Amino acid sequence: MNDKIGEFISEKNIVLNLGALNQSDAIQKLATVLKKNGYIDDVLAFQNDVLEREKASTTGIGNELAIPHGKSTHVIQTTMMFARNEEGIEWNSLDGSKVKNIFLMAVSPEDKGNEHLKMLATLSGELMDDDFVEAIKKADSKENILKILQKRGNER
Amino acid sequence: MKIVGITACIAGIAHTYMAAANLKKFAKKENCEIKIETQGAMGIENELTQAEIDEADVVIFAVDTTVQNEDRFNEKKILEVGTSKVVKDGKATIQDAIKLAKGE
Repeated sequence: MNDKIGEFISEKNIVLNLGALNQSDAIQKLATVLKKNGYIDDVLAFQNDVLEREKASTTGIGNELAIPHGKSTHVIQTTMMFARNEEGIEWNSLDGSKVKNIFLMAVSPEDKGNEHLKMLATLSGELMDDDFVEAIKKADSKENILKILQKRGNER
Repeated sequence: MKIVGITACIAGIAHTYMAAANLKKFAKKENCEIKIETQGAMGIENELTQAEIDEADVVIFAVDTTVQNEDRFNEKKILEVGTSKVVKDGKATIQDAIKLAKGE
């Protein structure tokens, strides 16, 4: 099984200066990019599915990070987006921190045990690694963020 | 100290794997052996054998949903927590498990 993160994402999956005003706005802005790149078929329906998941329990995992995710019938192909928001966004985070770094996971319910899910599982595990999180937070260009994601994926 | 555990969240996409990683991270810091079975969107992975379960001093269920094949853990000491708590404070979970194992 292949879990190399870098093989599934490109600079198109990364947004710096997202400019979102709040959680809902952030997810909508990212969903708009996903639609444009052909990963989902309906921005508002997908946004709704992600916000529903968020209601069950926050995905603000602390340390200015959030990992909203939606298993949604509106996902054409499982993927992820990374976004940086300069202003911290209120996210009900586990440690109360406002969110500046977002990994949005879009998952098709059709996917079971495939390499895209494996990629998301690998990424989730990496988020518990303080060095990885610090590197992501410090990275200031799409190229650098992609490099960090690719490097980590390759090591596993 | 030998710890085994199960992680499982509702969507089976992220928290299952974050909780597993955090338990491993802090078990290592406490010099505990650990093996975690993930029950996520990809099904059961890294499945625990009955021998591994039998040998364990304590079991951690980091779950937001029901554990599959729970009857394997009959008569074991089990610490049950939600995945978010493990993601937020894996250290406390491992320390609680150690306390439970020692009967403190």
